[in-house]
Amino acid sequence: MSSRRSGSTPRITDEQIIELVSKLQQLLPELRNRRSNKASASKVLQETCNYVRSLHKEVDDLSDRLSQLLSTIDDDSPQASIIRSLIN
Amino acid sequence: MSPSQQPSSHNPTCLIKNRFAHRFVRALNNLNIKNRSPHDENQIYRRSHRVKIAAYAAMASVVGSKRAWSRAVLWKVRNRSRNQGLLVSSRRKRVDCKSKTSNDHHAKVSVVRRRNPNPKREDLDPFRYSGQELKLRKLVPGAATMDSCCLMDETADYIKCLAAQVEVMKTLVDFYTTT
Repeated sequence: MSSRRSGSTPRITDEQIIELVSKLQQLLPELRNRRSNKASASKVLQETCNYVRSLHKEVDDLSDRLSQLLSTIDDDSPQASIIRSLIN
Repeated sequence: MSPSQQPSSHNPTCLIKNRFAHRFVRALNNLNIKNRSPHDENQIYRRSHRVKIAAYAAMASVVGSKRAWSRAVLWKVRNRSRNQGLLVSSRRKRVDCKSKTSNDHHAKVSVVRRRNPNPKREDLDPFRYSGQELKLRKLVPGAATMDSCCLMDETADYIKCLAAQVEVMKTLVDFYTTT
């Protein structure tokens, strides 16, 4: 698969790919609890894409809410002082 | 999750979360959003976009230059600050969907890839860059030209850090909503 690279990386073996795919599978919330711990690589990749997209969307939503919340807090509120003490 | 006490050395994710929380909160403070009510939707959008960029930049700077994805994010953020007014973003679709404002804003949002150090090479090796892998390469920053091995590795790390980032952000939102 990487034979294009001029001799700098050895050919990737199938075992390596399988190992990496299973490692990725452990991180995905969807596939972690499946009884058969050998999901196909394409399924794992698909779930990975979905998971990354959902994480991006969550970051979007959370930053929306955070920006709204931050603009309305009072500088004298207890939260603001806690944050200030955390930063300094 | 106590941000300031004992960083748990037996759990690297905890350490990442602490460091990220610290940097993100500091960045938020520097953004100077407080006590400023926005005048129009454009400003609302820009404010939340700045928070989002601060989050990604904070996480990438915690990871540093150890990972290709974090290097790519930091590169993009630094370039973004150079291109004032133009948004350098590989997440163009989301930006387009998110902007609910007038055509003015749409005209401003354009993807500018300047001196991108990772040019795509689909033409050279079509089998590698097809299907699911290609979609993944578009999602993970800096992943366009890695080999499959590195791609999986980077994706795993990227997912871990993203999940940690989301957790910290959720905690912050909860913290600010309790009055």
